[in-house]
Amino acid sequence: MDQARKRYNPPKREIEGNMKPRSGLRRVLTIAVLILFAAGLRGSVAAPSDPWEQPAAALADQIAAILGPSQAHLVIRNNSQIPIDEIPAIRRLLEQDLKARGIQASGAESANVIRVTLGENLRERLWVAEIVEGNETRIAMVRVEPAALQLQVSISGITLRKEAVFSALQPIIAALETADGLVVIEPEEIVFFAHSPDGWKEQTRVSIGQRRPLPRDPRAVVYPVPDGHGFEAWVTGMSCKGLPQSSADWTVHCSESDDPWFLTPPQSTRNAAAADMSIRVTPLRAFYDSARDYFTGVVTPNLGADPPPFYTAVVLPRSDGGGLLLNGIDGRVMFAAGGALKPVSGARDWGSDFALLSSGCGSATQIVASSSGEANADSLRAYDLPALEAIPASAPLTMDGTVTALWSAPDDKSIFAVVRKPAVAGQNDPYEVDRVTAICN
Amino acid sequence: MVAALALPGAARTRPRYGGTLRVEVEGDPWQRPGGLARGLVLDGLTAMSLDGTARPALAVEWKSENDNHRWQFRLRPGVRFQDGSPLNSSGVVASLTDECGGECPWTAVHAAGSSVVFTSDSSLPNLPELLAGDDYRIALAGAGNPVTAPVGTGPFQFTAFSNGILTLAANDNCWQGRPFLDAIEIRTNRSIQYQWLDLNVGRADLVEVPAEQLRQAHDQRLTVVAAPSVSLLALTVADTGALANPNLRAAIALAVDRGALSNVVFQKQGEITASLLPAEVTGYGFLFPAERDLNKAHELRGGVSPPSITLAAEGGPAMQLAAQRIALNLHDAGFNVQVAASSASQRGDLTLRRLALASNQPQPALESILRAAGLSIPVSESTPEGLYKTEREILDTHTIIPLLYLPRAYAVSGRVRDLRLSLDGTPQLANVSLSDVQPEAAP
Repeated sequence: MDQARKRYNPPKREIEGNMKPRSGLRRVLTIAVLILFAAGLRGSVAAPSDPWEQPAAALADQIAAILGPSQAHLVIRNNSQIPIDEIPAIRRLLEQDLKARGIQASGAESANVIRVTLGENLRERLWVAEIVEGNETRIAMVRVEPAALQLQVSISGITLRKEAVFSALQPIIAALETADGLVVIEPEEIVFFAHSPDGWKEQTRVSIGQRRPLPRDPRAVVYPVPDGHGFEAWVTGMSCKGLPQSSADWTVHCSESDDPWFLTPPQSTRNAAAADMSIRVTPLRAFYDSARDYFTGVVTPNLGADPPPFYTAVVLPRSDGGGLLLNGIDGRVMFAAGGALKPVSGARDWGSDFALLSSGCGSATQIVASSSGEANADSLRAYDLPALEAIPASAPLTMDGTVTALWSAPDDKSIFAVVRKPAVAGQNDPYEVDRVTAICN
Repeated sequence: MVAALALPGAARTRPRYGGTLRVEVEGDPWQRPGGLARGLVLDGLTAMSLDGTARPALAVEWKSENDNHRWQFRLRPGVRFQDGSPLNSSGVVASLTDECGGECPWTAVHAAGSSVVFTSDSSLPNLPELLAGDDYRIALAGAGNPVTAPVGTGPFQFTAFSNGILTLAANDNCWQGRPFLDAIEIRTNRSIQYQWLDLNVGRADLVEVPAEQLRQAHDQRLTVVAAPSVSLLALTVADTGALANPNLRAAIALAVDRGALSNVVFQKQGEITASLLPAEVTGYGFLFPAERDLNKAHELRGGVSPPSITLAAEGGPAMQLAAQRIALNLHDAGFNVQVAASSASQRGDLTLRRLALASNQPQPALESILRAAGLSIPVSESTPEGLYKTEREILDTHTIIPLLYLPRAYAVSGRVRDLRLSLDGTPQLANVSLSDVQPEAAP
């Protein structure tokens, strides 16, 4: 059967965006912290004694089986991304391992030559030894697991920071971290993952069971139930409820539904905290056009305004009362409040998706919007919205691909983005869920 | 390599539905493999994912038994052909039988309830990947013209062919979802020169860029989307007649100047190879030396003057030019070579061909190349050592001589959004949308 291969991505952090000049002292401190941080990471990466010990020994075994005790001239060529300064250590290991097996490394005058090529392919490293005895060349190979660690750190003032949570080969249209694990919504299935020492481990997958064809750009929303165990999800044309029986066993019921989708969690504790904002006490719902990829504009309860069809809407708390910020399918960003629909300026650079982020910085709540410009990768940027004008509150955070979905975490303190990465040789999981948080400076 | 590339900066705003994409091609959009229309109208039981493994398409799951001699594929429920007929297992069997006739890789295929069962005298370890190929797409038997107007389950359906323009309309009920575009118009048999002219004056949205003209396309600042190393330029060598002697075949392999082919004919856009699989897929490509060795070629020929041999080239002017170049190389090694055009039914002692690389997983990729070259050798080895041995054994027969890996590329207008190429370089037009269409409500 086709297995959807999932793997946990080690957190890749990228911090960008400095909207304020930093003082000299602060800069020095920041750099110092970063050096320590980087040093700590380097130390942790190098933890297992030597990653080359095992493959060097395995290759030496094979060479010895072919050549037997003898002398040979050892030549090493690096066709891989192994840093050049690690090659002497690999040579030392190989020489030691060969010697232990009766093969003495000798000069170029030797009749035997062992030509080792440190190579790689899309999936792994491959060390190949060509053992030349006179006119005869024999081959030995060992596979070396890729040591994957990519780390990029840059500095910021008010800062957006991203962290890879999960990646997958199959399209992800929504996801939710619950007390019991990770719920991932794919176009046709709901997949459950549990924490394991190696990262997220797939527990089970359940068919959503759509009977009608999906639109080309399927979307979904998923919210936790109030006690944090279980979820409610709306997927194009369907609604689903899931309850965990155990970490590996979920009961899921899906049914066809044209009911409006919740724009905020159905029963959120946040609503009580924002009791002065009536719009948040009564969760808003909107009808979704299941043949397309947008909401029809019909919102319940009625806002008094008449919103156009929109891709995205968030309930925005404001000092003068709450309102609904929405992004019309014509690209215009509007704010619906008090029975009126007003345009928001400064949002021409916004893409179709945005989400609310309660950062606690500045005005406490920002809108994080995807970019609309032509670039090699989408970016996210935080905005304040005083007086219906979008003011950048962070520098853009590059997302290494196309942002295909964006939503707030249940507590609004972080947002999640699904990024479809460009196809890159050797990178097999094009869909990645990133958690984006803010740091106040 | 084999990275399906996308236009930069895809997302921005969500794609809009509507509009007609205007495509121009030099050849027949129904040709196999790689014809644009086939992939838009017809689906396979499986499809190829970006990691080079098979993923579900018209089949939702599959299992093998008896050491890959028996495979069972369960069909996706609820799928309908573009004329409304339901997809069922007997229809799939009829289609597959029509498609490959007597040259199917399996021994028998039959319907079993909602499943299709393949049985084979030889092991078929890569059947799911094989079924993702262009040769095994499912058409409704007895409906439409199976060659020029087939009825399938794909995102677009045939509507007309007139004045050299093939028109495909969106399939609203496609199981994968309605495509964003309302229609695609494919102007056929259009020369590259006119394609580029039409793109520049706004009469076309997507045109072809042959490998040998990639540099020119960049010089002209066309927006190019390319998939590198997706087809293998290779010589297939008959092991009968004039070239029955294996030493002569080995001499030919040593006499070809791959560097000149790459630099002169393909304008440095090819990746030189003497292995069947690209080095990026295996990591051991360097074990197959690609350097020309005329002295050894003469030595292997042993002073024998072989009879005149024919070299046929499949494809357009660049392939003919490449064949001429190879003929000169072989002349240097003492061979008398006549160059001729080729058809599938008429091949020479040597045939210059492009073989599609269908996967970036070495095992199915090698099998697909061998199958395309007419060598039905199931590849069951999956370790690097095993694959190397398999390649070595095949290449030591010198019945196939790898030369270059070539890219596949297209140039697009500014209104095309989210164009991606699949592993074999085919544009995935079902996910394309147009930036200048007005928002519209669903019907």
